[in-house]
Order: sequence, then structure tokens, then C-alpha cells
Amino acid sequence: MNTIILNGSPKGKSSKSNSQIFAEHFVKEMHDPCEIKSIAGNDPKELARYVAGFDAIIIILPLYIHAMPGLVMKFIEKLEPAPSEGKKMGFVLQAGFMETAQHKYVQPYFRRLAEQLNYYYLGTVSKGEAAGIYMYPKMFKKVLKMVSELGAAYESTQAFDDEIVKKLSKPYKLSQFQLRLLKVVDIVGLSNIGWHKVLKQNNAYEQRLDRPFL
Amino acid sequence: MKTIVITEYENNSASADYTLDLAKAEIKDCIGCWSCWWKTPGRCAFKDLDEFYHHYITADRAIFFSQVSKGFVSGNLKTLFDRMIPLYLPYTEYSTGESMHVPRYDRYPDIEFYYQDSFETPAGRQIFVDYIQRVFYQFHSKSIVVEPLEETISGGGGRN
Repeated sequence: MNTIILNGSPKGKSSKSNSQIFAEHFVKEMHDPCEIKSIAGNDPKELARYVAGFDAIIIILPLYIHAMPGLVMKFIEKLEPAPSEGKKMGFVLQAGFMETAQHKYVQPYFRRLAEQLNYYYLGTVSKGEAAGIYMYPKMFKKVLKMVSELGAAYESTQAFDDEIVKKLSKPYKLSQFQLRLLKVVDIVGLSNIGWHKVLKQNNAYEQRLDRPFL
Repeated sequence: MKTIVITEYENNSASADYTLDLAKAEIKDCIGCWSCWWKTPGRCAFKDLDEFYHHYITADRAIFFSQVSKGFVSGNLKTLFDRMIPLYLPYTEYSTGESMHVPRYDRYPDIEFYYQDSFETPAGRQIFVDYIQRVFYQFHSKSIVVEPLEETISGGGGRN
């Protein structure tokens, strides 16, 4: 099975692209690693023609406003239905929000899209709380290892492993305990330490609540 | 009452205080730089939507006339949604039992979203409607109406 991995991050191959990091880990433990290509920086029409030559397409992408980034939709608009049966399409979504229920608005769309394009739908793998991966890769060692296992399993079975998918997608919803904890963390200001550090580095802390367009 | 229109249809006759004509304007894609949150809070690194931002957050009502592309919003309209993130703060709140962006402004317009009803099945239409409802819920609009276009303007005036 000839599979292409598409990185749907607008950051493309940048080392700051979490989707690129996911893609590299997805192929890391494969015997014969798949090609990875970025949607950003490529002509959507030409890219759509190129990927039509593969047996399977896996798009690894960040969640932007509950769905794919605009440039990924511009690429999707150029996809043509597969002329033959048996081609496969799957998605790996990574997002900043912790709970993967945030992904439920686009997941049924991805299923529908694959079916309408005459592709077998491999599924959508969801991972929340992933925004910090490029900044703190060591903290995400376990997650990235699971992504590599997902890729290795895909190479041997041409499917997304249910157990790994389940583990990555936790939590689906925030539990009452998590919510209470998050609210406390919020009240004492711990949740914004990271944001404020970056804002201060950029001399933008005092402007953080600005309303420039009133 | 200030009304703005965001349309993907040429020659849209709806009168409005401001119109963003997506049939003519190709919006620059969000590049994920986070300038709007980390460097110049509230301002996007690109300036092509500055006028839109002002009119959107000072409007009472925003009316969208949307095409449907491969069963979803077009890439151009999706890019507009992505580029609306500067209107919210980087912080997350949990008061509704789930993660939500915190508003940057006191109020956001009510939404009327009309779409070209080219869906082959009710399930396909529902995915689209649920998505649009969710986008503007996340964007803190209080009233969100999502309806097929045919019932609103006769003739459609579609551009395909």
C-alpha cells in the first residue's frame, strides 16, 4: 500500500509545526517510511493530482476553529473522486483544547468527504492538549511514542489501531474533577503563566487585553 | 441597528452598512504565527481584514451568504473563520463545562447564516449546520440562525 502523509499545518515543514512533528513520528518506526508532503506552499490543484496516484492519503492537521485550516479546505476543494475502489483516506487531528469532543463537528464531515470521494474511510485520530509539543517535546515523549506506534501498526495493517486511537483521544470530555481543578488553576492564575511569559518576552503583556478595532 | 454582510455571491443586493465580498476578495490564509495573541494582541500580522474586524465587532447583526463546497464551507470562508481568532483572547474558560475561548470584546453580532442548499442527504446538511452553529457559539454570538439560501433570496445568483 503506497501511502502519502500530508501535513496540513499552515506552518508547513517548520520545526514549530506540531503536525510536522506528528507526521515525522508517524513514519519514524516504519520499515519503509511514507513520503510526507506539506499542503502549505504547494499548489492545491497540483497536489490533488499528485496524491491521486497513491493508494492511501493520511492528512495530519491542526484543528482551527473546530475544523481544518482554510488552506487545507482549499486543497480538499480540488480533490477528485477516486476512479477505482479500494483507496483509503484518514485524518490525524491535533488541537490545543484538552478535550477531543471539540473535534466532533468535523469528524463526521471527514467520514462523509472520504465516502463521497470514493475512498474507504480509515477514521480520524484525535489528540487534544497538543499545542505545546514543539515548545516542550520532552513533556510529550509518551504521546509522540504512541504516534510512532500508530504509524508502525498502520504500516503492517493499513488501519488505525483502535487501542492507540482510544488512548490518544482521552479525555473526550472534561470530567467534573478536571473542571473543578481547571477552575481553581484559573482563579490562582496558573493557567496563564505560559501565555504571560511569551507576552512579556514580546513586550506585549500590557497590551494583552487591547481592543484595537472598536 | 448596524448590519454587515459577508457574501460569496456576486451582485448581492442586500443593503448593509458594510459588505465583505468574498466573491472578489481572496483572504490571506492564517499562517499560525500567533502574532495576534503574543506580539500585537488583537491585531493580525496581515492587514487585509482590519476594516472587516472593525465592522464585525461594532455590528448588531452579521449576515452570511455562503456557498457549500465539497459539503462544507469554502476554503476562503474557512480562512475568514480562522482569521477571526484575534477577536478573542488566548485564554481558555471552562464555565460551560468545556474549553471556550475568552472574549476580547464586550459583544459580538447576532448571526444569520444562509447557505446554498446543495446537500444530497439530510445527514450531510446536518453536519454543515451543526458546524456553523458551533463556530458562532464558540465566537460568543448570542443569536445564531442557520438557514438554506433559497428561502431568503430568489434566484440565488450563484457563482460556481
